[in-house]
Amino acid sequence: MRIASRGLPLLVAALAIAYPWLVPNYYLVYAGALTVMYAAMSTSWNLLGGFTGYVSLGHSAFFGLGAYGTGLLVVRLGVPWVVALLVSAVLVTVFAVGVGIAAVRVRGASFVIVSIALVSMMNLVVQGWRSLTGGSTGLQVPSPFPGLHRGETHMVFFYLFLALLAVALLCWWHVSRSRFGAGLRAIREDEDKAESLGVPTGAYKVAAFALSALFVALAGGLYAVWFGSLDPIFVFSILIGSYMVLMSLLGGVRHLYGPLLGALIVAPAGEYFLIALGETQIHLTATGLVLVLVVLFMPDGILARLTRRRPGPSIPDETADQRLQKVTP
Amino acid sequence: MVSLLLQGLALGVLTGGLYALLASGLSLYFGVMRVVMVAHPAFLFLAAYLTYTVHTTFGVDPFLALPVTVPLFFALGVAVQRLLIARLAPENLAMMSVLLTFGIALTIEGLLGTVYTGSYKSVSMEYATRSLSVGGVHLPYDKIIAFWVAALTLAVLFAVLVKSRFGQALRATIQHREAARLVGVPTERVAGYGFGVGLATAAVGGTVLALITPFFPASHWVWIGKLMAIIVVGGLGSVVGAALAAILLGVVEGLVLVTVDATWATMMFYVFLFLALLVRPQGLFGGRLAHRF
Repeated sequence: MRIASRGLPLLVAALAIAYPWLVPNYYLVYAGALTVMYAAMSTSWNLLGGFTGYVSLGHSAFFGLGAYGTGLLVVRLGVPWVVALLVSAVLVTVFAVGVGIAAVRVRGASFVIVSIALVSMMNLVVQGWRSLTGGSTGLQVPSPFPGLHRGETHMVFFYLFLALLAVALLCWWHVSRSRFGAGLRAIREDEDKAESLGVPTGAYKVAAFALSALFVALAGGLYAVWFGSLDPIFVFSILIGSYMVLMSLLGGVRHLYGPLLGALIVAPAGEYFLIALGETQIHLTATGLVLVLVVLFMPDGILARLTRRRPGPSIPDETADQRLQKVTP
Repeated sequence: MVSLLLQGLALGVLTGGLYALLASGLSLYFGVMRVVMVAHPAFLFLAAYLTYTVHTTFGVDPFLALPVTVPLFFALGVAVQRLLIARLAPENLAMMSVLLTFGIALTIEGLLGTVYTGSYKSVSMEYATRSLSVGGVHLPYDKIIAFWVAALTLAVLFAVLVKSRFGQALRATIQHREAARLVGVPTERVAGYGFGVGLATAAVGGTVLALITPFFPASHWVWIGKLMAIIVVGGLGSVVGAALAAILLGVVEGLVLVTVDATWATMMFYVFLFLALLVRPQGLFGGRLAHRF
């Protein structure tokens, strides 16, 4: 079991690194890069959703802001793309702190409403601020690697997204073993009890919110320089946000690799639907139906099914009195 | 300037009345099940498209679609509650119900886009294109019709809720589910009918929407934001609060629309949403019910 749990991730990582050389054409490299991008984003989403149980449908706001921030810095100010990427990610994180302070004041359904409102708001701002962003016609970002042809660019970005995914996974793993992570889990189980036990719930929630926005913004920035053209309706679409939620839920929000597994299933399926059914809207129906089925029948995800470890009670079964009897002879 | 503001005010009140009808269903769902039904606007546009089909196929007045769509949507509402929402685990109902209804919304949007294509559709009647002028203020007839249909529907809804035996059972279920069950109210069935009534208002609202505005399958996203802002500002679960917030936000939207532009008019909804959350998270009229959600 231990070898399996150690060895499998290494094997998957080796396969992922070799992937661009194993596939026959550049289209599959492109699809792979897209899948890894979604995996990085949903892992990042899971920093908030998995630990605290706050489901955000609006993380595409941070994706779009990261993309537009990077794009605008490159186009309007002529900043090198790496600097633009990092600066815009930091700016989006600061913005997320501000939004987080307002958003995490409410729980449950209201929080989801706020997150949906955030995307619609950002969409309005970017489309309305025509002089800066180009409005609904979009923004063209020059390619950072003019010497490479399209296929080679896909390859470079495949590895960039893979690196981002690795950092996001490491971050999740690190948080899950820290005091911070324990505090966030306490918020998920019972926020009032956590607060009364001295967990600084407000600060923790805002920190988790900003941290999960950071990696999504980085993915958005990479997307901007990778694709080279930004369409506000696409980058701020609620669909991207719901993909993050669907992937995480499908894989299992309580597991490190849950969102990754979900992304490996949902993103290729989405690409397949696009090819098989063409540019119709029926892929929305497919996404919607899968989401309904997952919520109804598998809210804990595939990994929870596979490991079959029932989530134990959040409070130990024995009372303080019983424990006392054990230590006092 | 004064007449411009009056124009904005009058349009705002008329639109606000329609918003009150569109948001009333959301308040009902939240009341009976404590769920936020994100799919409500998607159902609105489903009704709008059905109205469009009836209108273009048979060439009849769009309001003649109502005898078909209202019972249909009532049945759909009962089915959604009984078959889907009632199956969710109660401990995480708030989050999971949003995701579930979100999935329903995506499903509807995809089907509408496949059947009707993504282009704009509209239902225009000859009587709806003229407008009434009162003291320099122009009021389009379609907006006036929308207001009165909304007012009439809301009046019927309130009468049902206050007078009828079913309304009493429904209000009892909203106020205290366990207590209602103790005195013999079949709360499960009543909750199902509550959803049915909520979706029936969506059928009426959809027909009105079809009359006053062009629509395409993704239109419902804008309305999710607007309607959610209304019910949060009004206080989740308060039907009266939602109606007052609807008028308030309708007027604010109308005034900003005539003085600034359409982008800022829509933005006002989100500004009010965030203000409400910062200053008064339970909403203007929300009490005990709202503060946990």
